[in-house]
Amino acid sequence: MDIERIRKDFPVLSRMVRDKKLVYLDNAATTQKPSVVIDAVADLYKNYNANVHRGVYLLAEESTQAYEDSREAVRRFINANSTKEIVFTRNATEALNLIAYTWGEANIHAGDEIVVSIMEHHSNYVPWFRLAHRKGAVIKIVPSRMDGELDMDAFKSMLSDKTKLVGIVHMSNVFGTINPVKEITALAHKKGAAVVVDGAQSAPHMKIDVRDIDCDFFAVSGHKMLGPTGIGALYAKESYLESMEPFLSGGEMILKVTLDSVVYNELPWKFEAGTPNYEGAIGLKAAIGYLEKMGMDTIESYERELTAYALEKMKTVPGIFIYGPLRAEKKGGIIAFNIKGVHSHDIGTILDSEGIAIRAGHHCAQPLMIDCGVSAMARASFYFYNTKQEIDSLVAALKKSKEIFGHVA
Amino acid sequence: MSLEELFKEIIIEHYQHPKNQGHLEHPDAKSDGSNPLCGDEIAMELIFDGNVVRNVMFTGNGCSISQSAASLITEAIKGKTIEETRTIMNEYKNMLAGKEYNADILGDLEALSDVKRYPARVKCASLSVAVLDQALQQKK
Repeated sequence: MDIERIRKDFPVLSRMVRDKKLVYLDNAATTQKPSVVIDAVADLYKNYNANVHRGVYLLAEESTQAYEDSREAVRRFINANSTKEIVFTRNATEALNLIAYTWGEANIHAGDEIVVSIMEHHSNYVPWFRLAHRKGAVIKIVPSRMDGELDMDAFKSMLSDKTKLVGIVHMSNVFGTINPVKEITALAHKKGAAVVVDGAQSAPHMKIDVRDIDCDFFAVSGHKMLGPTGIGALYAKESYLESMEPFLSGGEMILKVTLDSVVYNELPWKFEAGTPNYEGAIGLKAAIGYLEKMGMDTIESYERELTAYALEKMKTVPGIFIYGPLRAEKKGGIIAFNIKGVHSHDIGTILDSEGIAIRAGHHCAQPLMIDCGVSAMARASFYFYNTKQEIDSLVAALKKSKEIFGHVA
Repeated sequence: MSLEELFKEIIIEHYQHPKNQGHLEHPDAKSDGSNPLCGDEIAMELIFDGNVVRNVMFTGNGCSISQSAASLITEAIKGKTIEETRTIMNEYKNMLAGKEYNADILGDLEALSDVKRYPARVKCASLSVAVLDQALQQKK
């Protein structure tokens, strides 16, 4: 992989920040965009902008085709059976809420059990928490083990005939842990439970095959995989989508409306009310094209090498504590940590003065923070355009932050 | 703008060895607050003697800026009248907002003046005065 050539595809990466070269290590929050994505969005507005699925003129045909081509790109990217199973949403959060408010509303009843893990982002916990409250259902939390992996024994013991839904994050946005979603799905299906996989962090970094996983739902975020913000996708098995009531309603999601009757549109448009974010979808298609050209296997193995290097180097920072698995083969390129005596926000500010962007805070995973006994962590997260030199800069700046705060007993 | 200006020795000293940290018995007023996005937490307890802040203590956790600010501001207002306390708080807010302020009134609190150059950190430095504001409203 020629990283220097790849980096030239991303205009922002050549930016100077506070007189230093930008080192962007907040990829779990959002990724930077290559020119092909920026250009695809500009091309729409310069050359063929028209609302989709409405006009009978040439521009509308072109924009509709581009929008639906993007759906096919998402289908291919995660290996779904059919484009009927791909619903565009604003983001992974909206995809997860869609499930809670449609399938969840109809299928979760008092006394039913919903099993989720301690590693869930708020987006795959709060919708189920609220659903359980509305219905009088019970939420069970699968803990993580000391090594940052999911406690599969605990998971197995929590499954019962009452389990109606299992929600699991594919790659933790804090620990970076890659959870065994295929095994989890098989176990849950034996109990007749539906399985929701939050793929916001995994889809950008590894090959996804929803048919192989066999999960019933899979949520994708566009902006975490080179695409524009405001576009995400929900994968759901066709049989589920057929049985589900619409989520939002209005234009686009109907076939026929009279004053006393409504006939819903076919899949997947039944779940896409109103003018969709076709600009975002068109950008996402360009992003997927870029990722496919690089090859997800290439991306995964390069990031694993980068993560192994980072774990090794970061260990040398005095007073550092790294959360989650310490073996690169168990995780994606996400490393959360704290340094004794230096609060994560202070680390964030000190790194910023060196042009290094990382995240500090609770990472929208407060239950996991509480479980780790902290209120905040610092987090460095990588993408294929990051380099070992950038990790060296990170480590040097972490040592500097320790020096500024002196050595605390 | 250098890091040494933001993380002055006095700030790190108050962060590592905070003054007035703990609880008061039978406080006349108490209040707490947090910055939900970063998780900084501050709680303040006050005892009044007529119109004077006779004692003030805080508890909390968070970054060096939020915790040193609590330590410094409690030092600044202890023994001051309510009016003097409000003046100090107003001058402090002016300083963080990048407006003109009276350095004599602020004393050691001026150590936090460079926070205004870091917009993302101003809320860390402001948390203590917000909590103090709420507590003072409980004073009849």
